[in-house]
Amino acid sequence: MKLIANIGLAVILFCSSPASAQVKPGSASLKISGEVTKDFAFTKDDLRKLDRTTAILKDRDGRDVPYTGVSVQRLLEMAGVTTGKQLRGENLTKYLLVKCADGYEILFSLAELDNGFNDKKVILANESAGKDLPVDRGPFRIVIEGEKVPARSSFQVVEFKIAFAK
Amino acid sequence: MLFYEKSLSSTNKFSCSNCHDQKFAFTDRKVFSPGVDSEVNPRNTMSLANLLWVKNFFWDGRTEGLEKQVEVPLTGVHEMGQSLDASVAKVKKKKFYAARFEKAFGSREITANRIVKAIAQFERTLVSAGSRYDLHLQGKYRLNAEEQNGMDLFFTNPNPSKGVRGAGCASCHGGPKTYSELFQNNGLEKQPNDPDRQAITGLAIDEGRFRVVTLRNIALTAPYMHDGRFSSLEQVLDHYNEHVVQSEFLSPFIKNNSNIADGEKLGLTAIEKKNIIAFLGSLTDSTFISDPRFSDPFK
Repeated sequence: MKLIANIGLAVILFCSSPASAQVKPGSASLKISGEVTKDFAFTKDDLRKLDRTTAILKDRDGRDVPYTGVSVQRLLEMAGVTTGKQLRGENLTKYLLVKCADGYEILFSLAELDNGFNDKKVILANESAGKDLPVDRGPFRIVIEGEKVPARSSFQVVEFKIAFAK
Repeated sequence: MLFYEKSLSSTNKFSCSNCHDQKFAFTDRKVFSPGVDSEVNPRNTMSLANLLWVKNFFWDGRTEGLEKQVEVPLTGVHEMGQSLDASVAKVKKKKFYAARFEKAFGSREITANRIVKAIAQFERTLVSAGSRYDLHLQGKYRLNAEEQNGMDLFFTNPNPSKGVRGAGCASCHGGPKTYSELFQNNGLEKQPNDPDRQAITGLAIDEGRFRVVTLRNIALTAPYMHDGRFSSLEQVLDHYNEHVVQSEFLSPFIKNNSNIADGEKLGLTAIEKKNIIAFLGSLTDSTFISDPRFSDPFK
């Protein structure tokens, strides 16, 4: 998988900088930072090269809509976030803060996302019905299968930040 | 006191309160406000209320934290137009400030950092939480029928397939704060002529986005939107109900937010719009706009 080697590029793409160049929606990337062993950023082309999985989200009329992407746990593992057997003791106070382009933020405890703890399916999706997500939802969105309220299945995700609860 | 100090401007005629007048919930009711050079600023003056809960300031969210926010109008050439060093020199000449700095900071030293901190801290005290809506939340006031219906519509997302009517305002303006830390494109234009949030982030998806503002005291703070284009709440409701411009960057909270099956327009009735405006009126906090703690000490 070809990663963005220089995390500085991701910073230019997403952080406040009046001098930064305009970025087309399709070329946007997502970075993972904070309590990681390596800062990590990827584009949707990178995401397509990983193990793909599908999760179902109900639309507001109650119809099942499939979304395809990559397990959030898999992405956290690639950034060296504590998962699986490492997720014990004080590491259980860590959380993932999901940041979206419009300022929206939601949070998961790491244990929520770990298949060693539960079977909840949480993915970072970039496609639905074989197509890229529309601009107002993509290029990346969270999809949480089975969650009764869709408020955490957030749009236009630009950053994952890992931190300890204090 | 520094909020009302005119010597913080290059002409000694402007203080923060020129644009942020308490009786209008710290706005000036102008479309665009003129500064020391008589040039108007490019965006509408924002209300100052409940700022201690805000992370990113200005319409485009360019600064994080109130201290950084304070520096912008103090030094802006079209605002108060004076360097912080010049402000320090002028404030030092006013004998009554030294004792006040000692009380606030523990010594009589007057610095740019302390001036900025003092104004920012004053702004943090501007808490508006005494409206009829607040009393309603505390169980001390009963909204009238129009206000109650307006509130129900305000906080409900429309769902025509289930016969649920709503305005869907709370997706952005929900909770007692009546704002969220969000930047949204609310469909004012197909191609915005203001550099907006996109100028800060460089992201194409930020086109036409501005911060979601508080609706506290909204009946007092006309004109509305970043460019002050709407002179009344009726015009604002008409926009969201009938004139939203569809685009790929339109907020997903607004897109397809409709009381009509597969509709693009919100589809509220004239009475429903009137009820929502009645509810917005309940957000006016008369104690906030008359509280002597926030008033001009030089008068």
